[in-house]
Formats: sequence, structure tokens, C-alpha cells
Amino acid sequence: MADTTTAPTKLPPPVLPRRRELLFGTGFATAGLVMAIVTLIAHYLATRSAAGASWLAENDIPLTQPNMQLVTLAMSAVTMQWAVYAIARDDRYHTYMALGITLLLGVAFVNQTTFLFEMAGITIDQPEGPLFYAVTAGHLAMVVAGLVFLVLMAFRALGGQFSSRQPDGIAAAALYWYACVGLYAIIWYAVYVQK
Amino acid sequence: MALTETRPETEAGGDVHAEQPAPSQIERLIGTGDHLTNGRLLLGFALVLGTLSAVGLGLAALDRTTDDGLLGGISDVLWPSSLVGLVLMGVMPLLLALGIAVVPLQVGSPSIAFPRAAGLALWTWLIGALLFMTSVALDGGVGGADDEAARLGNLSIGVMMAALALAAVCVATTVASHRPLGMGLARVPFFSWSMLVAAPVWILSLGAAAAHLFVGHIADADAAGLAANFDEGVSWFLRAPSVHLLAIPVLGIAADVVVHLTGRRLRPYGAFQGAIAAYAVLSFGAWTQVPAARQTVLWAAFVLLAALPVLATLGGLVDALRRGGVSALASLGASLVALLLLLGVVAAAGVQALDTAGSGQLWDLRTDLLGDAQLLFAVGAALLGGLAGLAHWSERLFGAPAADGVAKGGAAALLLGGALAPTVLLVEGIAAGDGRDGLPEGLVHGLVAAGALLLALGVLAGIAAMLGAARQAYDGVEPAGDGPRGMTLEWSSSGAAIAGALHEGPVRSPYPLADLRDGADEETK
Repeated sequence: MADTTTAPTKLPPPVLPRRRELLFGTGFATAGLVMAIVTLIAHYLATRSAAGASWLAENDIPLTQPNMQLVTLAMSAVTMQWAVYAIARDDRYHTYMALGITLLLGVAFVNQTTFLFEMAGITIDQPEGPLFYAVTAGHLAMVVAGLVFLVLMAFRALGGQFSSRQPDGIAAAALYWYACVGLYAIIWYAVYVQK
Repeated sequence: MALTETRPETEAGGDVHAEQPAPSQIERLIGTGDHLTNGRLLLGFALVLGTLSAVGLGLAALDRTTDDGLLGGISDVLWPSSLVGLVLMGVMPLLLALGIAVVPLQVGSPSIAFPRAAGLALWTWLIGALLFMTSVALDGGVGGADDEAARLGNLSIGVMMAALALAAVCVATTVASHRPLGMGLARVPFFSWSMLVAAPVWILSLGAAAAHLFVGHIADADAAGLAANFDEGVSWFLRAPSVHLLAIPVLGIAADVVVHLTGRRLRPYGAFQGAIAAYAVLSFGAWTQVPAARQTVLWAAFVLLAALPVLATLGGLVDALRRGGVSALASLGASLVALLLLLGVVAAAGVQALDTAGSGQLWDLRTDLLGDAQLLFAVGAALLGGLAGLAHWSERLFGAPAADGVAKGGAAALLLGGALAPTVLLVEGIAAGDGRDGLPEGLVHGLVAAGALLLALGVLAGIAAMLGAARQAYDGVEPAGDGPRGMTLEWSSSGAAIAGALHEGPVRSPYPLADLRDGADEETK
């Protein structure tokens, strides 16, 4: 077997990924998305203020559900930071576990949101509908995109692409996820609490 | 079998790669991640579509020369759609194309950040632009009457905005994370710096504008509803202070052109960078979405203060030039007069600010015309800056310098058009205020049409300069080689030269190539 085994020839040095490229890119893109959602919230508030007491008068939005959603996302922010902490210390087992729990909480949030939409019974045809769904479904889409981002980064972590020397993917996913959580806190207060 | 073992004969005989069909030229073009190729493509498409938008604006103005519509009353759709087209199909992609192509070279990077995303942005933007033109042709676009076509127009504007924001992310990330050792942000070349500070403003502003388009789309509004939605939610993007965002990279282009042609180190470097950054901050206008915000002291301060960084940059550059010995190239003239046109934006916005001072309106001026004047001044400046950048970096982009005569002709047309059309609108905005008749309609719109067509002619000259340079490079014509020696990394003769320059040690100043030469000169003494 020895004569059929070849020693590797002199290979070029591996090209390491650019440090913080993904983090900067995610930061810039997230800023644009946050601006879009904040604009939608401001538009929602201005329109609701102009409409007065008639705003969502026909619909009943319970507060328990949005509260649970906020708690769910708040917990996911903790587990996301756990993943960042773990990968920075090359603790791969805890990284996978933290990412898995974050994904689970994110899916739970999606489930809770669709349940809330069903309970509220707001239709797109009523005057409040387009703006309500622009804000809440727009944020929901952002969370779903965040879940896809997390899954991709989790697979890359499983493939050994991230470590304490190169934690950017997990940190970038975390940055995006925190933006989702922060935006929901604003939506929770502006749309659901102050309804 | 371990991976280090030699494959058996049967497997080795069949070369897997040989059996795969090679991608065609078009497939390679569409799928390329090469920043120069993508930059060139975006540049070419932006110039063509910018020309069409300027022609559309000219036709809309011609239509308005008579009360019943000289060309059949097409101006209701064509005027606002052409203004949007000039911004989203001409100016922004033109400057982003320069960014995609030149910024990696300036920071010594072999590629742009997220090269596939940059390619995606290019093709998505092109599809959005084609959809937008289709919707305009079907009486949609912005302000059209056909419901379905107007929805298509609304969607296509959103697609273009998303694509341009993605391209801006790629360019800004390149500056942020692809810099070589020693090149801190304080040593980034001016154009790259201007793209870095412009990108966040563009991304935030495009995000805010796209949010309103999203609302219009999910509301399934009819044509009138979409027109109202655009007017209430997106029109701020085409007014001061936001129009200044179109011209942020122009300051960087002008500074880089002066550095290159004079061969002098601009000092204090940080002051120039600060002026560009201040201009970017003052161009952030997403907070003026509500009309009431445009009648505040803060708005007046924003639009008037924008003159300061422009004047500071212009003064610094003229000071560097006054020692003489500089060739009067098109790139120099175009970039400097572009800065002068930016003062026109400040003048038009300043008049509006004075009008809205105090309670109510002082002179009840035509703010719609003043707003269009602000936009056209900024568009003229940005197109001039883009042409200056194209002429300046032509050798890097296409392998041969652009014909200076053609570029000068284009710059002259852009200057005339970029000054004439908005000046007429500014004068008419003042003259027709407070219910006065103003200037004769035919004269006003005829002059605006002439200005718009001059803009189209100037952009066409840019296309001619680009094609001429590409043809020269194709024919293998060697550059004269007697031009100024570059001071920043994009002027290295090749990527290997950049690597060689950086191998000498970390970057020690904003002018690494000049440092390298100075070091070599000292060694030979």
C-alpha cells in the first residue's frame, strides 16, 4: 500500500476568511431592515393617532399573547448570547445546544404570532389591516429570515468553520437576532400595549 | 481508501471535470463574482438607463410646454417616473458601479466583499429597472392611471431599492473589513472613505423609503392610492436634505482626482475626511418624511449647513491646485464644477427654508418646483462626479484612458444641463409663488427640456468615453505612460504589484504607493 500512497505536494497556504466581513455585512444590512421596520411603526403610530378611538375598535387583541411572545424572544436573546460565549471559548457542545434552543424559541415565536393573528381577526381589507400587517408580518418575516440565518450558521459551525479564532458567523447571526428582539420590544409596546 | 491514496486506473481514467460542460460566456458573465466585471456591467447599464431617464424627463418637459400636452399629456407619468429613474436607474447605480470596481483596488483587496451578493444586486437591479420601464410604458410607473401597471411600478421601485442597498452593503463592507495592515480608517483613500460614509446613509434612507412602498403594495391600493402613497411616503427621498446623499461620493472622487493630478498629499487628511463625513450626516433625511418636519428650524439648519462641508472641500482642493502645474483634464474640471452644482441644491433649499420660516409661508412659493430644482441640481452634480470618476479611473476600469475631449464635451453638457434645468425651476418656483402667473409656461418647460436633453447628451458622452477606452484596450493600444504617478493602491500596475507594495510593510500613510516611491528614492540617494 505504501507505493500507492502519495505525500501531499507543497500546497499554497490556506486562504482564511476575512475577519469580521460577515459581521460588518450583517450590521449594514440589519441597519437597513431596522430602519424599514421603524419607519413602518412610525407610520402606524401616526395613522392610529389620526384615526382616534375608531382604530381597531372592531377587533380584540389580548395582551397575554404578545407578552408571551416578548418573553420568548427575550429568552432567545439569552440563549443566542450563550452561543456567542460558547463559540468564543471553543465550547462546541454548548454552541450547538444554545443554537438549537434559540431556534426552538424562534419557531415558538412564529407559532405564537400566527396564533395571535388568528385570534385578533384583523383582515387586510379593513383600514387598519395593511399597516398592522406591514408592521407585524414584516417583523415576522424578519424573524423567519433570522431563523434561516441561524440554521445556516449552525450547519457551518457543525462543519467546523467557526471557532474562537473565527467566530464571525455566530456573532453576525446574533447581531441580527438581537435586532429582531429589540424591534419586537418596540412593536409590543407601540402596537399591542398602546392599542 | 484514504484521501491520500492514488485513485485506481478505472477512476483516474475518467476525469470528472472533463465530463462537465463548460459554462458559456453568458453564464460566466451572469455568475461572475469579479468586481471589475460587475462594476463595468453596472456602469454601462446605469449610463444607458440614465440616458433614457434624462430623455424621458426632457420629453415630459416638452409635453408641458402647451396646456393640452404637446405629446399627448404624457407628463403626469413621465415627469415623476423620469425623476425616479434618474436617481435609481442612473445616479445611484453609476456611483455604486465605481464603488464596486474601484474600492477593492483602493484598499488593496483582490475582491469585493460578498462578490456573489454584488452580482445578485447588479442583476436584481437590472430586472427591477426593466420592470419599471415596462410599467411606465403601460401608464404605471409613478403617477400613472393603470392600476396593474402602477402596482408593477411600485414593486419595481422596491426591487431596485433593495438591490442598490445590497450593493452598498458590499462596498461598505469591503472598506470596513478588507483593508490591509496599517490602513486604518484614517488612511482610507477619499473615494473609498466617501463610499463608506455614504453607504449607511443610502441603506437607511432606502430602507425607510422602501417601507412605504411595502405598505402600498400589501394594501393592494389602486393607481391613485399608490400615487398618493408615493407622494406622502417616498417623495422626501427626492428632496433636500436627502438629495445630498446622491453626491456624497462626488466629494471623494474630487479629492482623489486632485491628489492624483497634483501628486501632493492633502493636509490635514482628517479634515477632508471629516468634511465628507459631515456632508453624509447632513444628507440623512429620513426624519423629514412628515411634511411638517420640512417646516422646522432643524430642517433649515440641515439644508443650509450642507454648504459648509462642500465649501470646505472645494476650498481645500483649490488650495492644493493653486500651485499650478496641473493638467486641465476632464476629470478635474467635472469633479470641481460638480461641487459648485451642489451649492445650487443649498440655494434652492435655502429659498424654501426662508419661505417656511416663521408661521405659515412667507412668500407662498411653489415648493414642488423648488423641490424638483433641488433634485436636479444634485442629479447634475452626481452625474458630473460619476463622469469624472469614469474618466479618472478609466485606465483601471477598461485598460485604457478615456478620450479626454469626449469626456470634456460630456462634462460641459452635464454642467449646462445640470445648471439650466434646475435654475429655471428655481426661478419659476419663486416667480410663480403666491398665485402669481410666473414666467411663460412654454419658456419654462422648453428650457427645462433643453436642460434635460443636455443631461442625456452628457451621459451619452460618458458611454462614448467608456466604449472608446474599452476599444483601445481591446486593440492593445498602450497608454502614453507620461501621466502622473499614482499615490494610492489602485494605481499599482497589477494585483501582484499591490501585494508587493504591501509586502514592504504595513501601510504608513494614506498614500502607500507614494511612500513606496519615496522610500525607493531615499535608498537610491
